[in-house]
Amino acid sequence: MKKQHRAMINLFYVPAIILFVVFVVYPFLQGIRLSFTNWNGYSQTMKYVGLKNYIRLFQDANVKTALINTLIYGIMSTVIQNILGLAYALFLNINFKGRTVVRTIIYMPVMIAPLIMGYIMYFFFQYDGGAINDILIALGMEPADLLVNSGAAIAIIVIVNSIQFVGVAMVIYLAGLQNIPAMYYEAAMLDGATFWDRFKHVTLPLLMPAISSSTILNLIGGLKLFDLIMALTSGGPGFSTHSLSTLVTNQYFSAQSAGYASAIGIVSFLLIMVISNVVTGYFDKKEVDTQ
Amino acid sequence: MMKKLAAIAFAGVMAVSMIGCSQAPAEPNTDSTENGTDSSSVAGGGEQKEAASSTGVTLEFLYNLNGEAVSDAIQEVCRQFTEETGIGVEAVMPGSNFSDIMKTRMASNQLPDVWTTHGWAVARYAEYLEPLNDFSFASHIAPSIEGQITDENGVLYTLPIDMDLTGIIYNANVLEEAGVNADDIQTWTDFEDACDKVKAIGKTPIQMGGKDSYTLGNMMDYVAPTLITNENEANQNALLDGSFDWDNWNIVVDKINQWNQNNYFNVDAVTADFMTGISALASEQAAFMFTSASGITETYVQNPDTEMGFIPMPAREDGLQRSLMTGEHFAVGMSNTTKYPEEAKMFLEFLAREDICAFLATKCGMPSGLDNVTSDTGRLAPFYDKYANDAAILNIPYFDRKYLPSGMWNDLCITGGTILSGQADAKTTVVNQMRTSYEEKKAQE
Repeated sequence: MKKQHRAMINLFYVPAIILFVVFVVYPFLQGIRLSFTNWNGYSQTMKYVGLKNYIRLFQDANVKTALINTLIYGIMSTVIQNILGLAYALFLNINFKGRTVVRTIIYMPVMIAPLIMGYIMYFFFQYDGGAINDILIALGMEPADLLVNSGAAIAIIVIVNSIQFVGVAMVIYLAGLQNIPAMYYEAAMLDGATFWDRFKHVTLPLLMPAISSSTILNLIGGLKLFDLIMALTSGGPGFSTHSLSTLVTNQYFSAQSAGYASAIGIVSFLLIMVISNVVTGYFDKKEVDTQ
Repeated sequence: MMKKLAAIAFAGVMAVSMIGCSQAPAEPNTDSTENGTDSSSVAGGGEQKEAASSTGVTLEFLYNLNGEAVSDAIQEVCRQFTEETGIGVEAVMPGSNFSDIMKTRMASNQLPDVWTTHGWAVARYAEYLEPLNDFSFASHIAPSIEGQITDENGVLYTLPIDMDLTGIIYNANVLEEAGVNADDIQTWTDFEDACDKVKAIGKTPIQMGGKDSYTLGNMMDYVAPTLITNENEANQNALLDGSFDWDNWNIVVDKINQWNQNNYFNVDAVTADFMTGISALASEQAAFMFTSASGITETYVQNPDTEMGFIPMPAREDGLQRSLMTGEHFAVGMSNTTKYPEEAKMFLEFLAREDICAFLATKCGMPSGLDNVTSDTGRLAPFYDKYANDAAILNIPYFDRKYLPSGMWNDLCITGGTILSGQADAKTTVVNQMRTSYEEKKAQE
């Protein structure tokens, strides 16, 4: 009876497994196959070119730029979102009138599609009629074309992405904070711990599972950033603000190098997998240490 | 452990989405223009005929012309074809990612019966298109577009209902205010003198909308042939046979870089979009723009009271000819694997019929691609009349379609942005990018 019951339960996995195989495993394996070809993305013919795409990838200055940008988008967004998210959570964990409204306002941008957010922000930063320049002009200053400078454009992309998704980190930290029993703080206060001591020795260690989840989510979100870049800069000027995701699209469709794009996709998959595993491993250890 | 699994699953989904995700590629703009002519009846429509009984066949026709009036005209023509023949036509304009959809349809070998070839009849679609040399309209292809829609063996791939005749568009009122006579612009030096005069009256000489990267590609595509291939057979052959010395590309980079140094472009040339440029022309704040004549129509939509025109591309030096680019605009080909070849042939013959072709070309406001058909090109008529049959003007193909391997349009768009962004090592970066991409793509051919 038990065996039959277990078999029944296993059957429920089947639809999910089928969907996963059809929409994830199969395209992924096809992607690996394509990465060894010179396919242009539409022709009926393709040639196997061995490791040529992978060799080219490691010599391509544009891939190097995109890789560096991807790491900047991933790491900087994670740092900003977590610091700001934790600060918001600590603040909004205090009881005050209008707390729910403030929480909603901070979380609201998460509900906007990143592409839409990108276009809204483009109108904010654009040279001609952009809100920033209108303010600069009102203050008697010269307007600036912020998105033409790759450094400034990258910073803008990081800031916009961080502010849009800081609500996710805030919610995770709020849940974490509300799970910390008040008795720990009371005991610490009886021992004469200051606010900083309580934060360092009670809050942070007990928040480690929340920090871990938030960091991984934000890191992966930053590393696969796509829509926002397309809406704000389309990867330009030149290749200077491309991430690996936008570069894959550019190479697949615009440059008609589907094989090469697949190779970049596979390498970025490996990169994100390695980074997220290392970070997960690090936080797993921390969580164990604090238990 | 669960977190590790979750992280791996996230990464997997991300990689797959990156391989499969899509973005409309930037290609030369072949959007339709809309002429304000009456659309109440297709030519010949005054005569009421009894509708033919249905054959049960429906052709799938995908087109990329997204103007409302043009789209309505296409639907009207398809209805008339169905009435006359009993053959249904499902005419669909799938949106701005037409090119991506067609690439996907090619990859899966599931092409529509008939589709618009938007400039790529030979370079991209030839292996999927039925040769049209035996059609009655084949002997009426306008000479200026024939070379662009036939391959080296003379195989004709598409029916050119109309054709692009592209130069540099300008605002006549701005030029007049600056004291520039557009007809005096014969060489790039004349063009630069005109830019200086426009700059002197505080207006933008060249408007660019680089956020829509095809505008940067247009600029490179317009300037390059005048400096590299026009009246230079050696370079033409070298580009085609793969032996081109890319150090020669420096002349193009230097020219555009010099304009940039001279502040001929709008300050936000790299980050503004195309419509910002159109607004600048419509409000008479800018003089020139590197875009097709459809840009003029767009400008008139915003300000019907302004005066627009276009000039041929200036020559690189005195004694050489100016040039106009000719290419497909509304051109239709049929699949060589269609289940309904006879019906598709009837549809193409119908589209080529003088009354139908004239009606559609007029709706687009473009000269017809068939020499037995005359269309009404509205406010652009004086310019088409002036330039179309001027032997002193070279009719040239779009540079990238003729001389660069497929896929290098992307490089023109990106390197255009690199130059205008003022990047310190722009010259080396651009030339290296073009050389590397050209060699890689040539090696794949």
